[in-house]
Amino acid sequence: MRHNWWRWLLGIGLILVVFIPSLAWMQHRVTHYKSNYKTPLNPTIMVPGSSASQNRFDALISELRKETKVGHSVLKVKVATNGQVSYTGSIRRGDNQPFIVIAFENNQDGYTNINKQAQWLNIAFKDLVKTYHFNHFSALGHSNGGLILSLFLEKYFSETKHVNIDRLMTIATPYNMESDSTTTRTAILKELIAGREQLPKKLTVYSVAGTENYSSDGTVPANSVNQGKYVFQNQVAHYTQITVTGDNTTHSDLPQNKQIVLLIRQYLLQEELPAKERANNRSGIVRRSITGEAGLP
Amino acid sequence: MKQPHLLRGLWQLNQRLSQRRMMQAITAALRLVYPFVLVMTFIDVIGQGFLMKTGFFYQIYHIGHWLPGITIWQQGFTALGLVINGVVAVMIAFATGYYLARSYHGDALTVGIMSALAFLTLNLNYGALGAAHAGVSGVPPFVTTNLGPQGIFLAIVIGLTVGWLASHLMRGLATWYLRHPRLGQLGWTGRIAIPLMSVLIMNGAIGLGLSWLNHGGLNGLVYQGLSNLVTNPGHRGLVILAVTALNNLFWWLGLIGPVSLAGNSAVTSLQNLAYAVQHGSGWGAPNPITLHTLGDAYANFGGAGMTLALVIAIWIGSKQVSYRRIANQTFLPNLVNLNEPILLGLPVLFNPILLIPFIVAPAVNIGLAWCAITWKLVPPIVYPVPRTTPGPLMAFLGTGGDWRAFILSLVCLVVSVLIYLPFIQVLNQEGGSDHAA
Repeated sequence: MRHNWWRWLLGIGLILVVFIPSLAWMQHRVTHYKSNYKTPLNPTIMVPGSSASQNRFDALISELRKETKVGHSVLKVKVATNGQVSYTGSIRRGDNQPFIVIAFENNQDGYTNINKQAQWLNIAFKDLVKTYHFNHFSALGHSNGGLILSLFLEKYFSETKHVNIDRLMTIATPYNMESDSTTTRTAILKELIAGREQLPKKLTVYSVAGTENYSSDGTVPANSVNQGKYVFQNQVAHYTQITVTGDNTTHSDLPQNKQIVLLIRQYLLQEELPAKERANNRSGIVRRSITGEAGLP
Repeated sequence: MKQPHLLRGLWQLNQRLSQRRMMQAITAALRLVYPFVLVMTFIDVIGQGFLMKTGFFYQIYHIGHWLPGITIWQQGFTALGLVINGVVAVMIAFATGYYLARSYHGDALTVGIMSALAFLTLNLNYGALGAAHAGVSGVPPFVTTNLGPQGIFLAIVIGLTVGWLASHLMRGLATWYLRHPRLGQLGWTGRIAIPLMSVLIMNGAIGLGLSWLNHGGLNGLVYQGLSNLVTNPGHRGLVILAVTALNNLFWWLGLIGPVSLAGNSAVTSLQNLAYAVQHGSGWGAPNPITLHTLGDAYANFGGAGMTLALVIAIWIGSKQVSYRRIANQTFLPNLVNLNEPILLGLPVLFNPILLIPFIVAPAVNIGLAWCAITWKLVPPIVYPVPRTTPGPLMAFLGTGGDWRAFILSLVCLVVSVLIYLPFIQVLNQEGGSDHAA
């Protein structure tokens, strides 16, 4: 029995050698799962431009539903000037890619209005996250809606922890308002450029411009859309500019333009398009497991 | 020594069974294979536990970060592990046939080789034979998965059948030629060739016939049926209990592995993981009662049948030197849930006394865990754990470090040891020269 004590000591030592590293490992794994986890619910938040209601995207949505044969459900949100949020429609149970259209009672154009709308968007966004518990989403902004979304991402998005934005597509968004100039910057562009460091680093941005002629879509100057590069380029993970010409390219027709519907399906919704519909080669889109690593789910 | 009625009855059954030729042949064959399997398992312990990316020790010690040439190590150990693991059933078919033929005083070596060949014949890749004719290469001639541990049951059955048949055939031929001297002498080659031909033709016909039903050979057929029966037990505790009991019975018969710890990636487990990630813990997870949260977490220490508890029970209660030695040798593999060596070494397989705790201990643990989770004493395990995690740590790590789960694991371990202990003590009476150290 003399040698019994060191056997015990060896046993305890062995247990500690396994136990302590496994504790550390476990903590590491748990935080890893938490930070990499993506909810199945992955909504697309759509923000219409000035003077447009929450029904602005109806034509686009029915087009998308017809093309994709996926019954994306639609939730429409309207934010009153006092911050009151009202809902119409609903997210269907089991639909992981719903559309959420957020519109504002005060939908006027202009620097102060757009800034207020970004604030209202934040109120609605927080309410949505609290209700539906998604932790990632994509966004689509038409015209000034793109400005509202960009401002929101810079100024208010960080208030909501643990939620990431995957992709943002802006359609004919006038980053330099109505200005055709490539040198003078309007107040809103200055503000966006000043706050660009706050943009999410993993974000992918597509800026789509339509042109009737070589300089404008009839409302927004092409140069103004182009100014978006001073906001996003070198700030987000990817920034892509796309110009669409041809039929239905006037400013207000753009959201239901066939080419743009295709772009939305391909880039924003990341659908697997049939080969004949695939305008460009899609690459770099890899199906991931929910934790984003091989071997473990 | 006074014993309860049940245990005495069991002991008598065991005695009667072990008098039988077939049981002796099986036991001898398993004992012969044991050292080979032990060596293989130690290689597996290092390969799967320390060198594989999914291994427990690989992950906790971050071995990939500091071991130079990790891929070479991985490849080397995988290759070594494959050698014995890949053909363990063939070895058992040989050994069973050999020992049975020896008990009939037949030509043991020849019969052993015959039964190994017969076993291979049944596991030919009949579906691929056409492909070979068509000039398609790269299809393995054998259904290789059936030659590993999951083929042990079939190997024993074939070993016994061929051992009996070939021994009698050879003896019968010899006497028949003796009675009919005008046919001349039956040569050594003829004595072997005729039984071999008949055994091979018989097994080939069976194998070919079965290949029309199913691609994996006879073993595949048995295995597929069992897997379908047991892989999808759903949420209900009683079904899980029954499935685990059935699964352990299959293991005891040598049908190793219809249900293995694959629960990490089941849909229900993923739902639980998603819930836990969003809510911070597994409390209130959508699927608290599954095979994974009950069986894998609390009833699989050491592998099927809670064999880690068996090892501890032997340490505490066994006076058999051979048992204690095997327990010492297989402790490490049991710790990382590789229990083939102890199943073959004691052997647990086909041992009527150990069958009861082998089924009852996991069932009781599942019952305990079921109650504890339903009464909200412990949360269900939600985070994926590597297959090679030491059993008692599995629930603790899988719940994200819940001490109550760890305490429940320890309770389960103690209860299982207590269940095994009386049966181990019954086996202490087993004597005889082959058990002396």
